[in-house]
Amino acid sequence: MSIMKKQLIIFISSLFVFSTSYAGGPWPQAKSKGYFKLSEWWTIFDQHFTDTGQIDPNVTTGVFNTNFYGEFGITDRFTVLLNASLFSRNYMNNLRSQTTTEIIVPGEGLNSLGDIDLGFKYGLTQAGAKIPVAISLTLGIPSGKTAGGSLENLQTGDGEFNQMLQIDAGRGFKIGNTPSYLSSYVGFNHRTNDFSEELRLGFELGLGLLNNKLWVNSKVNIVESLKNGATAATANSASIFANNTEYASIAFEANYYLTKSLGFSAGMAGAFRGEVIAARPSYTVGVFYDMK
Amino acid sequence: MKNNFIFLFLTALILNGCIGDDFILDEVHPVLTITTNVDTIEIGTTFQFEAKYFDNVGQEREVLFSWFSSDESIVGIESDGLAFANELGEATITVDYNDGNNTISDSRTIVVGDYTVSSLQTVSGNIVTTSSYVLEGDFDFNETEAGVELILKDNYQASSSLPGLYVYLSNNKNSVADAYEIGGVNTFSGAHEYNITGVGFNDFQYIVYFCKPFNVKVGEGSF
Repeated sequence: MSIMKKQLIIFISSLFVFSTSYAGGPWPQAKSKGYFKLSEWWTIFDQHFTDTGQIDPNVTTGVFNTNFYGEFGITDRFTVLLNASLFSRNYMNNLRSQTTTEIIVPGEGLNSLGDIDLGFKYGLTQAGAKIPVAISLTLGIPSGKTAGGSLENLQTGDGEFNQMLQIDAGRGFKIGNTPSYLSSYVGFNHRTNDFSEELRLGFELGLGLLNNKLWVNSKVNIVESLKNGATAATANSASIFANNTEYASIAFEANYYLTKSLGFSAGMAGAFRGEVIAARPSYTVGVFYDMK
Repeated sequence: MKNNFIFLFLTALILNGCIGDDFILDEVHPVLTITTNVDTIEIGTTFQFEAKYFDNVGQEREVLFSWFSSDESIVGIESDGLAFANELGEATITVDYNDGNNTISDSRTIVVGDYTVSSLQTVSGNIVTTSSYVLEGDFDFNETEAGVELILKDNYQASSSLPGLYVYLSNNKNSVADAYEIGGVNTFSGAHEYNITGVGFNDFQYIVYFCKPFNVKVGEGSF
């Protein structure tokens, strides 16, 4: 396998992390209970953060993922999680001359199955603990395509099998009469295929409104690269794609229960600081089923 | 109402996923350049001059040139650029082209002597970044027997964080349309060189560094 196929378009692949901001926290599902969501996530970006954190333009690039997310409680403390990109589309625009309108570089698209994350969460504390703590392991299965298009610059997956170990802690409380929660996590993402490993950190604040029919939350996610992976220089290949992505992003999401179990959700996320990552927001909409 | 909303939403989503158009500002001044190189033409012989015209986007176009000599008695020249070294001395050969609005031209001072002499040309310059990525360094661009060579000096450095950095020779510093792709960048600091065969010294005006996968210009150098 060529270096190019091993290494990935971080501008794109790193965006997928924005899509993993699903229900989580230190609360495993109760036994035989679950939470499932079918959603569409997308971003269209024409600029990116460079390796110095500044913003440069790029040809307009779109990524669309149709995702299935599920959590299911095997026991009261052990939950299995699945985040699968059932359909992923990555495209780039035509590049045209403004003078002649002729196409200089034709745009291309790639459609395929995306990457799949399989996770396991274990509650270190008993249900009902004042400050619940859970540990989780997420396995990133590289089921997407890593190189498509004539320049092999399109992809629907990151092509590497990563393992992320994460610990979550949180607490439920009330703000006035409004049920709320606050959670945080730290994680270490071990990546293969010469990708840099990552430290991850995040916070989430959620509020239950309208008699708990509407839950809104805001998340801050921070990824710091250990910068111990390959670069174009160390790999001695002109086709290697960038590594060492870092970012700090903020996300907002609303989940509205139409019935006791069914509802829809909408959210957006974007990096406010980054290195080698898209500098436009991503959006998501979906429907969920909460097995209460 | 609900179905209409879903339909509109899905339609908007699908349309957003379609390949659109990005436009780049690529207009440049047209250029006419004499591409053959000679310093001295041996008396009593002929020399074939050639020129190339690059239009307002830097693309080569076949057009009809007009050739002139400042002194036909020393160097005569025909409409196809064939020059005759008639007597010892010095004259200026000029080629011009009128696109209907403007006349552009290029000239060379030619000596008629005992031998035909064509010295290899060279020019120096520096690469500068046009992005937020590090890219800088001095260069020599030399004519060789087989083509040209681009020599990057010790002070050259380029960011290795950029995916797919390629170097081109181009007549439009904002575009790689019709550019000559030298190749992918493998050296990110220090001296190195590219030997390029089949390319004339006057065929291109710029060195352009492009992030090929994302079609973004990173830096440039001018000859």
